[in-house]
This record gives sequence, C-alpha cells and structure tokens, in this order.
Amino acid sequence: MNKSLLAGLLIIVLMIAASLFGQYFAPHSLDEHQGVTYVVDGNGDGDLTVPPIAPNKQYPLGTDKEGYDMLAKLLAGSKYTIFVSLVIAISRLLLGGTIGLFLGYISKAKPARTEKLPIWNILNGIPIFIIVWMIMIGITMNPAASPLYMTTILAVILTLVGTPTVASTMKEKTMILREKQFILSAKSIGSGHFTIIRRHIFPHLLESFLILFVQEIVLSLSLFGQLAIFNIFVGGTTQYFDPVQYVSRTNEWSGLIGQARDYLFIYQWVLFIPLVVYIVFILGFHLISIGLEQTYKQKFSKVSHI
Amino acid sequence: MPKALQITLLVPGILLFVLLFGMFPVVLQTDHFEGALSFNWSGGFSTIAEYMKGMWSGQSFQYLSGKTEHSFWDQIGSSFSVTFFYITVGGLIGATLGVLLGVYFGISRIKWLKRILELTAVMPDFVIVLLLQFLIVFIATETGYVIFDVASFSTDDPAIALPLISTIIIPANYMIRNVALHMSNTLTEDYINFAKARGLSKRYIIFYHALPNVLPFVKADLHKFMGILFGNLFIFEYLFNLGGVTMFVFSNAFAFDGYQYSLVVNGILTLLLLYAIVYSLLRLVIFGAEKVIIR
Repeated sequence: MNKSLLAGLLIIVLMIAASLFGQYFAPHSLDEHQGVTYVVDGNGDGDLTVPPIAPNKQYPLGTDKEGYDMLAKLLAGSKYTIFVSLVIAISRLLLGGTIGLFLGYISKAKPARTEKLPIWNILNGIPIFIIVWMIMIGITMNPAASPLYMTTILAVILTLVGTPTVASTMKEKTMILREKQFILSAKSIGSGHFTIIRRHIFPHLLESFLILFVQEIVLSLSLFGQLAIFNIFVGGTTQYFDPVQYVSRTNEWSGLIGQARDYLFIYQWVLFIPLVVYIVFILGFHLISIGLEQTYKQKFSKVSHI
Repeated sequence: MPKALQITLLVPGILLFVLLFGMFPVVLQTDHFEGALSFNWSGGFSTIAEYMKGMWSGQSFQYLSGKTEHSFWDQIGSSFSVTFFYITVGGLIGATLGVLLGVYFGISRIKWLKRILELTAVMPDFVIVLLLQFLIVFIATETGYVIFDVASFSTDDPAIALPLISTIIIPANYMIRNVALHMSNTLTEDYINFAKARGLSKRYIIFYHALPNVLPFVKADLHKFMGILFGNLFIFEYLFNLGGVTMFVFSNAFAFDGYQYSLVVNGILTLLLLYAIVYSLLRLVIFGAEKVIIR
C-alpha cells in the first residue's frame, strides 16, 4: 500500500461516510431557511442580515441567495454525485468489459502495433457531451417525473455512450493476452474456452478493470459538470422565468456549480465551495488511480536506458 | 472493408448519422403530467423529410433567432472564423507544445512536475476555466489590475488571452502525457541501448532514434486529441462568451417556435467541416516533422 493510494482511499471513504451520515450531524437541515432579519442590540445599533450569508460560525459554509445552508445542500447532493457516478462506472465496466472480453477472445485479427483507426473517427468531432445534450435537453426542463427517475434516465444514457470506449480498450487488451504462451499451454492441456477466460485472461485484466473503473468515475463526473454548465442537471432542472433561472432539483454538486456560475464576481463562496468539494472528490479518485498504477508498475515495468 | 469503399461510404454515412442524431429532441418526449418517456419516431422522420425538401427551396437554411428570421449563410461566416481561429491556434500550438514537453517529461526525472501535470489533466475543462477566471478576478480585487479579460462582453472586444490559454493547455496536456508515456516505453527498447553503446549523444538518440518511433502513436492518437479539442470548444465558447459556431447552434437551437432541427444539423455539419480542416492541418505538420526528423 503506497501513500497516494492510502490518501485517495481515505478521502473517498470520508466523503462517502459524510454523504451517508452527515445529515445527522449537520447544524442545519435542508429545509431550514434564513430570511432577511433586522436585529437591534442593547446600544441601539441595528444589524441587518440578508442572505447570501458569508461563511461564519453559524453557517460554516455560508448560505445561498435564498438563505439555505450550503453545507446542508452539499450533503443532500452528495448522494447523487457519489453514488450515481459509481453506478455509471460499474455498469460501463460490466457492459463494456463483457463485450470487449468476448470480442477480443473471438476476434481473428492480430493486434496491431499502432492502432489502425477507422476513418469513421471524424465523428469524434461530435463529442459525447453533445450526444447527451441532444437527448436530455428536450426532457430535462421542469420534468414531471421524480428526480430519481430523471437521474436513472441520465445514468442509463451516460452508461450507453461510455460503453463503446471501455469495450474497445478491453478488446485490445484481451487480444494481446490471447497471444501469450500461457494461453497456448492452457489450450494444449485441453482447457475449454470458459476456463481460459475465467482462470487465465480475466485475472490478468483485473488491474486494467480497476484502473479503468477509477477513470470512468472521473469521466462521468466531468460529464456531469459539462452538462451542468449548460443547465442540464442530474435529476432534472427547475426553470424559473422572470428572471430566467435554472436550479438543480437534487443539489447534486456539479449542478450547484452550474447554477452558481454567475457568482464569479460577488458572493464567491456560493460558487467556490461546491467547486472545491467537487475538485477534492475527483482528486481522491485521481490519487487512487496513481497509487494503483504505481503498484502495478513496480511489478511489471522495464527500466529506461536514458 | 476495402479503403475505397470506406471513403465512398464516409460522406453519406456521416450525413445520415448527423441527420438521425439531430432528431433526438423531436423523438424523445416526456409526458407533461406523468413524466413518462415516449418516443415520437414518425415526428422525427418527418422532420428529416422536411429538411430534405427545404434544401431545394432554401428553407432549411433559414432560422429563427428569437422571432427574427435570418439566413444561415449570412450568419455562419463570422462564427466560423471565430471558432476557426481558436481551434487552429489551440490545435497547432497545443500539439507542438505537447510533443516537445512530452519528450522532455519522458526523459526527465522531476517527479513533482509530472504530478502537477497529471493533476491538471484529470480536472475537467470547465473546472480549469473557472479556476483561471477566479485567479484573474482574485488578482484584480487584490491589486486592482486586470491582467486578461475574463470573458468577452461584446463581439468588438473579444477576450483573447484567456480562451487561447485554455484551448492550448487542455489538449496539450493530453498530448504531453501520451508522448511522455510512449517516450519512456520506447527508451526501454534494446536499440536505444545499442545507440548508446555506439557513443551517440543523448540528444541525438532522443530525436533521431526515439522520437520517430513515438510519432506513429501521436498520429494514431490525433483523433482523440481532436476529440478533446472539440469537446472543450463548447465549454470554452460558452464560459468565455465567444461568438463561435457552438454558441451559434446552442443559443438558437430552441427559438420562438421550438426546436430548430435544420439549424442544429447545419451547425454540426459546419463543426465537422472544421474538424476535417484542422485534422488535415495537423497531419500536414506531423508529416513535415517526420521529413525533418527522419531524413
């Protein structure tokens, strides 16, 4: 166990724990509401409080413009950010991994040294984000469905659009593994296809699966964020007219960032605090991924001559 | 599939894809009372038919901005040149910088620099943009001096420095990591050891023995690089308020009388055209580099 891996795991475990149990310790709940108050003290000095309130003792992370506690909002949203990204990453790996393993195992082609890219790659000009935007934009504004239902739709879409890349990575790795000597020996002593996949190929792919899993989480988190910049929030968007305003229904973290984008110049904590939490969360996974890569590198890599 | 057939199928195939893909907002509907999803396939296909018919009459190249009708051809020019400027400069400088720095990172042993680089690479584009903007605002409030414009406030006075920095660093970052990885892999090969044994200088080995074997990977990864460049384009143009093609499509996709299918399709085709131009430009640069380095 190395330091980066440990630090990363610590951050993630703490955040998951906070998301599960944090609401019982938080000073304010999500429906507590700080209105405009005017208090006159003994000397006759008036004290006017208007939300948004900057971080202070009573509100450690401040409040938003409507006077709701930022900490409570972050805790409420954390469930969506954390668990939806986990679910998406797991289902992408399950689906893409199975397809890739299968295709790589049955494929007749030899693995190419440099990837031979089909000409269809010009479709890279249309990024995944646009595809998801196209699908979601029609249904995400003021939906009648529950936030959970909307989240499920988004999760399914994000899983489907992310599966092909996972599958192609896994296919390549399987194709390389399939050519190894130990597979040949396993075949020569009469192992069946299922045994070869289960006992010889899959264990070697495990590390790739693990690293890919962490990367997929980071990828889906950044997609959440990109969508949120364009007012598509996880769990649906509430759109207010006059003035036009977009509000996340679930308080999901990237949604909080997206809806607070205008606070760049004033009341900056409303934007900055969710942004920091979001960055720390990604950082945690990044550390885990570095740690894992280091662990595997020490086992297998060759040494540079220069 | 033979290559000739692939190329002949390419244009109609991509056209078909864009046509189908643009109809999503028409096809996918939610019930406004129960929230259930429903698919309106016939509506989607009739939109395509309408677009085809409109091609001849010119109706498909008209769009509404709010309630005013504009011609697509009149308006696309300026957006095209804005996007073209950022994406060419970002792509060319990003790729060159990426390869050079990647070579450097492949051989250097400075760990912390690599760590910082990896960290910025994992951050989503919009986080980097927001942090850059934050930095500018912070410096401005502390010192009263505005280094760069945070965003464009009008088309006459576009923000240039900050968007360019962002369009360069994010794809360059990917390039650096990729080149550095393949560089350090290449340097473990036996022929490098052999070159060293012959007494060739370090610089010579790196540029004439290792780099030519890294360039094929760069070429193969160019589509991914372009994908990152284009994926981020949407975020840049939106956050920096640049009047490019993506902003043109996004801000007008839903006009007064609803979703404008023809505008979205035309806009995406324009983007693909840009993609093809910038991609061939980059391939040309790599081709030149190969000629210089190898012979």
